Amino acid sequence: MVARRRKRAARESEKGILSPPGYSAIPIKFSEKQQSSHYLYVREHKVREGTKSSWPQKRTLFVLSVPPYCTEECLSRLLSPCGPVQSVELQEKPDLAESPKEPKSKFFHPKPVPGFQVAYVVFQKPRGVSAALALKGPLLVSTESHPVKSGIHKWIRDYADSVPDPEALRVEVDTFMETYDEKMAEEEAKAKEEEGVPDEEGWVKVTRRGRRPVLPRTEAASLRVLEREKRKRARKELLNFYAWQHRETKMEHLAQLRKKFQEDKQRIELMRAQRKFRPY
Amino acid sequence: MGPAHKGAQHRGTAGEPEVMASALEGIGKEGKKESSKKRSGSPVEGLLQPVKLSRAELYKEPTNEELNRLRETESLFHSSLLRLQVEELLKEVRLSEKKKERIDAFLQKVNQRIMRVPSTPETELTNQAWLRDGVRVPLHQVPYTVKGCFRFLPPAQVTVVGSYLLGTCIRPDINVDVALTMPREILQDKDGLNQRYFRKRALYLAHLAHHLSQDPLFGSVRFSYTNGCHLKPSLLLRPHGKDERLVTVRLHPCPPPDFFRPCRLLPSKNNVRTAWYQGQSPSGDGSPEPPTPHYNTWVLQDTALESHAQLLSTVLGSASGLKDGVALLKVWLRQRELDKGLGGFSGFLVSMLVAFLVSTHKIHTTMSGYQVLRSTLQFLASTDLTVNGISLCFSSDPSLPALADFHQAFPVVFLDSSGRLNLCADVTASTCHQVQHEARLSMVLLDSKADDGFQLLLMTPKPMVRAFDHILHLHPLSRLQAACHRLKLWPELQDHGGDYVSAALGPLTTLLEQGLGSRLHLLAHSRPPVSEWDISQDPPKHRDSGVLTLGLLLRPEGLTSVLELGPEADQPEAADFRQFWGSRSELRRFQDGAIREAVVWEAASMAQKRLIPHQVVTHLLTLHADIPDTCVHYTGGLLDALIQSLKETFSTGEEALAAAVRCYDDLSRLLWGLEGLPLTVSAVQGAHPVLRYTEVFPPTAVRPAYSFYEQLQERASLLPRPDKPCPAYVEPMTVVCHLEGSGQWPQDAEAIRRVRAAFQLRLAELLTQQHGLQCRATATHTDVLKDGFVFRIRVAYQREPQILREMRSPEGIISLRDTPASLRLERDTRQLPLLTSTLHGLQQQHPAFSGVARLAKRWVRAQLLGEELTDESLDLVAAALFLHPEPFTPPSSPQVGFLRFLFLISTFDWKNNPLIVNLNNELTEEQVEIRSVFLATRTKLPVMVIITPQDRKSSVWTQDGPSPQILHQLMVLAAEALPVLEKQLMDPQGPGDIRTVFRPPLDMYDVLIHLSPRHIPRHRQAVDSPAASFCRGLLSEPGPSSLMPVLGYDPPQLYLVQLREAFGDLALFFYDQHGGKVIGVLWKPTSFQPQPLKASNTKGRMVVSQGGELVMVPNVEAILEDFAILGEGLVQAVEARSERWTV
Repeated sequence: MVARRRKRAARESEKGILSPPGYSAIPIKFSEKQQSSHYLYVREHKVREGTKSSWPQKRTLFVLSVPPYCTEECLSRLLSPCGPVQSVELQEKPDLAESPKEPKSKFFHPKPVPGFQVAYVVFQKPRGVSAALALKGPLLVSTESHPVKSGIHKWIRDYADSVPDPEALRVEVDTFMETYDEKMAEEEAKAKEEEGVPDEEGWVKVTRRGRRPVLPRTEAASLRVLEREKRKRARKELLNFYAWQHRETKMEHLAQLRKKFQEDKQRIELMRAQRKFRPY
Repeated sequence: MGPAHKGAQHRGTAGEPEVMASALEGIGKEGKKESSKKRSGSPVEGLLQPVKLSRAELYKEPTNEELNRLRETESLFHSSLLRLQVEELLKEVRLSEKKKERIDAFLQKVNQRIMRVPSTPETELTNQAWLRDGVRVPLHQVPYTVKGCFRFLPPAQVTVVGSYLLGTCIRPDINVDVALTMPREILQDKDGLNQRYFRKRALYLAHLAHHLSQDPLFGSVRFSYTNGCHLKPSLLLRPHGKDERLVTVRLHPCPPPDFFRPCRLLPSKNNVRTAWYQGQSPSGDGSPEPPTPHYNTWVLQDTALESHAQLLSTVLGSASGLKDGVALLKVWLRQRELDKGLGGFSGFLVSMLVAFLVSTHKIHTTMSGYQVLRSTLQFLASTDLTVNGISLCFSSDPSLPALADFHQAFPVVFLDSSGRLNLCADVTASTCHQVQHEARLSMVLLDSKADDGFQLLLMTPKPMVRAFDHILHLHPLSRLQAACHRLKLWPELQDHGGDYVSAALGPLTTLLEQGLGSRLHLLAHSRPPVSEWDISQDPPKHRDSGVLTLGLLLRPEGLTSVLELGPEADQPEAADFRQFWGSRSELRRFQDGAIREAVVWEAASMAQKRLIPHQVVTHLLTLHADIPDTCVHYTGGLLDALIQSLKETFSTGEEALAAAVRCYDDLSRLLWGLEGLPLTVSAVQGAHPVLRYTEVFPPTAVRPAYSFYEQLQERASLLPRPDKPCPAYVEPMTVVCHLEGSGQWPQDAEAIRRVRAAFQLRLAELLTQQHGLQCRATATHTDVLKDGFVFRIRVAYQREPQILREMRSPEGIISLRDTPASLRLERDTRQLPLLTSTLHGLQQQHPAFSGVARLAKRWVRAQLLGEELTDESLDLVAAALFLHPEPFTPPSSPQVGFLRFLFLISTFDWKNNPLIVNLNNELTEEQVEIRSVFLATRTKLPVMVIITPQDRKSSVWTQDGPSPQILHQLMVLAAEALPVLEKQLMDPQGPGDIRTVFRPPLDMYDVLIHLSPRHIPRHRQAVDSPAASFCRGLLSEPGPSSLMPVLGYDPPQLYLVQLREAFGDLALFFYDQHGGKVIGVLWKPTSFQPQPLKASNTKGRMVVSQGGELVMVPNVEAILEDFAILGEGLVQAVEARSERWTV
């Protein structure tokens, strides 16, 4: 393996690092100690005319294959030599739209465990992007001045973070419920206002909050009604009343038997093929 | 680039699913062929398809023939499937016409050769010098001196008897029995006395053997015992060359008809004189000679060979249904290992039984083979031949002995048409009971609506080790000789011609049956195998038949008692009781004031109670039969060691589980009675394996040593410390707490989550306030520390899954559609608690369930496959062993249950059958419908389908795995493990290393990641438990426990989650959560194919140029280093073992 590695190293130095067309490759390693590196494939974020993208044109760097131990802060630190970084967003898949900015609750939407991700790095100036594209690397994720935790240390920190603060949780729940209740009350008030008032075409909306509750508009309810109708019809029907009915029932029975026979034959064929009839 | 394809197929665990789907059945290279076939678009091999018949085919006018066949099927068979199956089976076991012709030709030649054997001059019986070298007399001549003369003359008549003529002999070993009638000149008067007839018979065979062995026609000429009887050798002839396996001709010399006077051979008569047998001069004291019923029967059997053959051919001759029936019965007996050896229920016996049933009009000659089988089993199930003997003799001749006379002499009675010969003379009472037991089980099976009755009845072998709960071997058989003397069995020895094994068998089984009493359901013994030996060797000794194996079928309800209650002390039976139990019997005073004799066994735990039969057996055998416990090799709890916790080696964990369940019961009471919750609790349900008794290692009360941890005082919690070894693993037990429905619940999914979180907080508050319990609430659950056990309470709202399912169509109609979130919630809050309580109930019915389920789970996890199969699916498979034990009975010991688990896993056809687990017997008529739905939707269902009454269509617990490859791997491993383990358990020398089958094969993995034991919290649970491990921060004494211990912190698991997230596309990871020190990594071959450049598949890959083209391949070296980085501190070494990948 060592020999091979040496060979590869030689090959790399000859040819330079390969990258997909349109991208440039930046080697990235966890720390000094590692021998081989992963590659970040970066390019300027561009979209075709007409497609919408919330990322600012010219200033955004699109990064592929970000290793799992590389966090947003870390990437921001590694790319800051190219120019001041405005924001870094790590995502599982390339996504043109910026994710909704409202911060997700850490109690109700815990962060998933990261794998290899893609990143959108927004620089403050377009110059940063071009500098990043020319970056030679290798980038080091964990250095002495900025150590990145992994393994046991990371798990212990994660465990400590997962021990919740009940007060913060309570506060969050209370605020959410307050807004929710307000919203509901508003909607209800609006519905009440509209009740019995015909719209411009003259239609009156009937809700189940009225004095006489109506059938709820659900699929289950309509199915139930259909079922009831069917049963009513079946009750009235006479079985084996006419001679042809009788004949047909018999024929139906025979057809069932035939079908069963075919099924059984197929089964036997299969068992024979699997040598299932060798008793020992 | 990429691994070689050959290796990928062989490993069978990696690959893209559609290619490997067919690897399920294809083994090794076959699989490869099929997969290529499949790719070309043909339907999947070996998979049942729903039948499609056109309308014209279904509704065409029936022909007469078709109607007849349908009618016949309806009246003679259970179903058309059964009819086809029976026909196929018969085709398989029947002898083909072509072979029959070859056998006939061979028989003709045999006949000629026998007639040509030269005669010899007359000599004294004791003078055997005329016998040539290279042949030994096939009989133990003890005592040697017998008066009389012998000479050889060619037989007066050579007749073929037995099943070959009738056409009921079945493959694979075809035997043709040939009776040689010895000429009258050889025999003398009183030859029946003192084994003289048998000596002559043996010499006759010896001479024949010598001459026939010179003949090139025969491939082998050997001796054997007829049905294992030591006085009656027979000569086996096999053709030479490629036909050697075709047939075995067995020569049985027999006396000329009417030579012996039948009245001399009645069971009450003596034909072996004590004085002769013991080598003394006749003592004239006139004491009556003991009767020799077995000896007499063996002589009688020889005289009746031809008449039996005639009887059978007249009864069975023309009725093909009867012949089919006899063939089926023979298969049935053979699958149960009942037909071989001395006293076996042989095919001949069964043919006679069918003849009996025909003569009593229980079977009609027009019946089909299936009906004959059924009627015979019905008869066997309902008749106890040990009490009510039967007879083929219908004459009312007063000179004939009564049935009762036979009952006195023999345990089992079935008289032939002469009324003097007991066909079941050698059958022991326990064999008869075993046959009866099997017949009863089979009848239940036939009466049930089971679809695969045929398979279970006739195609499933029932070897002893898998059929009986406990097995015991008596090893040096020579000990039985001493036992015979101790049991005072001299007359029996005399009767059996010195065969101490069969003489002692009956009394020994009776002794043990009496001693085991209510603990025992059935005791069965192995029959000594019929040995064959070369004609130049001495016949094998009695002790050479190896080992006597007894099988115990236990009665679970009787196992719980440690007490053997005897009669009151002043009763006369007390003396018998004392005599029977010897020193173990003691006088005890009971709570009701009675003073009784009693025996108390030491057993504290369930595991020990299960092994009380071991104590009973060794005690009784030493006391009454002089067999020391070194000769008794008891196999009952050998696998217990694998589910024992380290500290309590006497228990297999049932007690610890029960303690946890008790604690849970207390907690649920507290929850019910909680005051101050805005809504009342409507149900509290357990949802954790501990609460259904199937957690492999039961939890113990936690008592953390605080100095070992970091303390987070403001949240009252302990945290692990990086500088210490990983703390003990504590898994909280999930409890689901349903709250009552109310109009106040919001109707929005996000809002419901917030309200639930509020309830979690409130619950924690109230439990702390009202009961002083340490609690910790999060948004989804509340952890509660109670008596050292940690419970995780999840509040649930019944309508929540429904709200998650609601979708609004454009027209405004609300419809319900399953979403992943709703299914998950439904599973966790409704199905899982239901399953847990059902299995909890099952454990109350079958105390061995816990042990079986845990052994099974332990094994699967030890094979590193535990992640792929959910806990619940394995529990259900284990439950199936108890709910559908056919053709066995529900296991009463973990050992036998585990063997059957391996058998089920290795043989079940998951592709074409759902495993139906009929919990609480709720499914009755629906099984047929379930199967047809299964067939119709097969392609959409997971590979492993388990149906329960609560889950009739979707197989919830196997939705996420295993993948076809993993299931295939599991089946292969089980198929390999089963024979190894059975061999170990059946080995009388001791099982050797029982953990062998629990060690996983590691050579198939591409990379092994070795972990440091310091950070494996469950290190000591490993299959090969280390002698010492690290301190895990637990106190042995109860300390102050007010801080919440570290919960669910298991570094290997956290590491695996990261690995799978990062490299799940490239590799599969395998690990044994119970203290595994190694993670096995398999590269997925398909991911190692060079990929085109695409933004979505850059994960962990790099660009290389291949043939001038730029492609992406996995950056293996960097990935290997990533393995070490992600697991820093935990990983000891990353060992790349294969060169299947190239960079």
